[in-house]
Amino acid sequence: MRIERFRRACVALVSASLVSLGMQAPAAAGIVGTAEAVAAAQAADPLVTVRGALARDDVRERMAALGVDAAQVDARLAALTDAETALLAERLDQLPAGGDALAVLGIVFLVLLVLELTGTIDIFKKT
Amino acid sequence: MRPAALPAAALAALLAGCAGSPRLAEGLPAAAPRSIELAAVPFHPQEEFQCGPAALATVLGASGLAVEPGALAPQTFIPGRQGTLQVELIGATRRHGRVAYVLPQHGDALVAELMEGRPVLLLQNLGVASWPRWHYAVLVGYDAERNVAILRSGREQRLEMRWQRFAGSWHRAGRWALAVLPPGAIPAHATPERYLESVIGLEAAGQRRAAASAYDAAIARWPEEPLFWLGRGNVAYADGDPEAAADRYLRAILLEPRDAAARNNLAQVLGELGCADEARRQAARAAELAAGTRLEDKASATLAAVAAMPDFECRLPGRNWPD
Repeated sequence: MRIERFRRACVALVSASLVSLGMQAPAAAGIVGTAEAVAAAQAADPLVTVRGALARDDVRERMAALGVDAAQVDARLAALTDAETALLAERLDQLPAGGDALAVLGIVFLVLLVLELTGTIDIFKKT
Repeated sequence: MRPAALPAAALAALLAGCAGSPRLAEGLPAAAPRSIELAAVPFHPQEEFQCGPAALATVLGASGLAVEPGALAPQTFIPGRQGTLQVELIGATRRHGRVAYVLPQHGDALVAELMEGRPVLLLQNLGVASWPRWHYAVLVGYDAERNVAILRSGREQRLEMRWQRFAGSWHRAGRWALAVLPPGAIPAHATPERYLESVIGLEAAGQRRAAASAYDAAIARWPEEPLFWLGRGNVAYADGDPEAAADRYLRAILLEPRDAAARNNLAQVLGELGCADEARRQAARAAELAAGTRLEDKASATLAAVAAMPDFECRLPGRNWPD
């Protein structure tokens, strides 16, 4: 957890310094991409895109360590936006990974039953 | 009433009072039919841990693309996590030229999609918060009389789940639901912001033809939203059609004269098309509008670049370019 926090601080620091470097480096002339235009219009956190771009290598490595075929990783990451890549970089190990519909253990079943009978989950909008 | 019946009535009232989550019939929107079942939705029984690829193959199939889960596993499955992440289902959807639209977090949106004849891929937590069991399934219908959700799930082609259990499992998974849409289809309750986000993802994944159709559909539905015109212009430019791009950027600017991105892009294509005078004028305007924003550097760079471009015969004569 502490290492995770340290790592995140490092990424933020590097991102911030890159952003400030970017102020001096000349930007390329040309077309503003749609994602870039939306981010500018929404005054979104500029670090998200930088972080996403930086994170690609990090995510690539960790996905390979989790058994994803190296030849597939690049194509998989190419289909994601910078914000989505940043999310993977931050939470690859904690995000829900849908797998099996395992038989539910008895005790959990009881808990679920109690939840259903006592909790009030109403997924419809109240009109 | 006989005195002996009183305690029984009180107990019944008490139980009714804490009856928990409502039945489907109590929440179903008035406009929705009492039952729906999309029986034609294909079924792909899952391999071990591979409910993600199986569920995705199911909704892609329903959208008109026959794909086997075996082909989707290398695009979505993470062996070390024994499962599939939500963002990778979104990424794989884009790779197949389909729009991945994350639905708003209420049951009305699920029902609205079913009413359009589209199944919904959703995440369930079949355990509890402290012991989560994540699972993807596809909602293909419901029946208010029998109080069930109807799912393609795991190895079950037609799983009926008691409504409260289904609603609870979806709720515990953050109410995440994905509509997989052929470009051109837009969910009934879609907002332009959310739909734009979906199409940008498609564009970023390099699916230009699908993105173009999706932008066209969005423009037909929300003609007053400048960002869809900008996006359509960007796809046209990437396709090597600067004239079409210029016309789209022009529409974006007419709707939002202070849009620095559209001005910048218009300046760039005008420069490429030989209309150097007008390019310089638009670039100067873009740089002025972009001052102090994240687009500042790019707009100044474009201004410098078009200033150096040669003036040859403008390929877009007779247009009224905006001030």
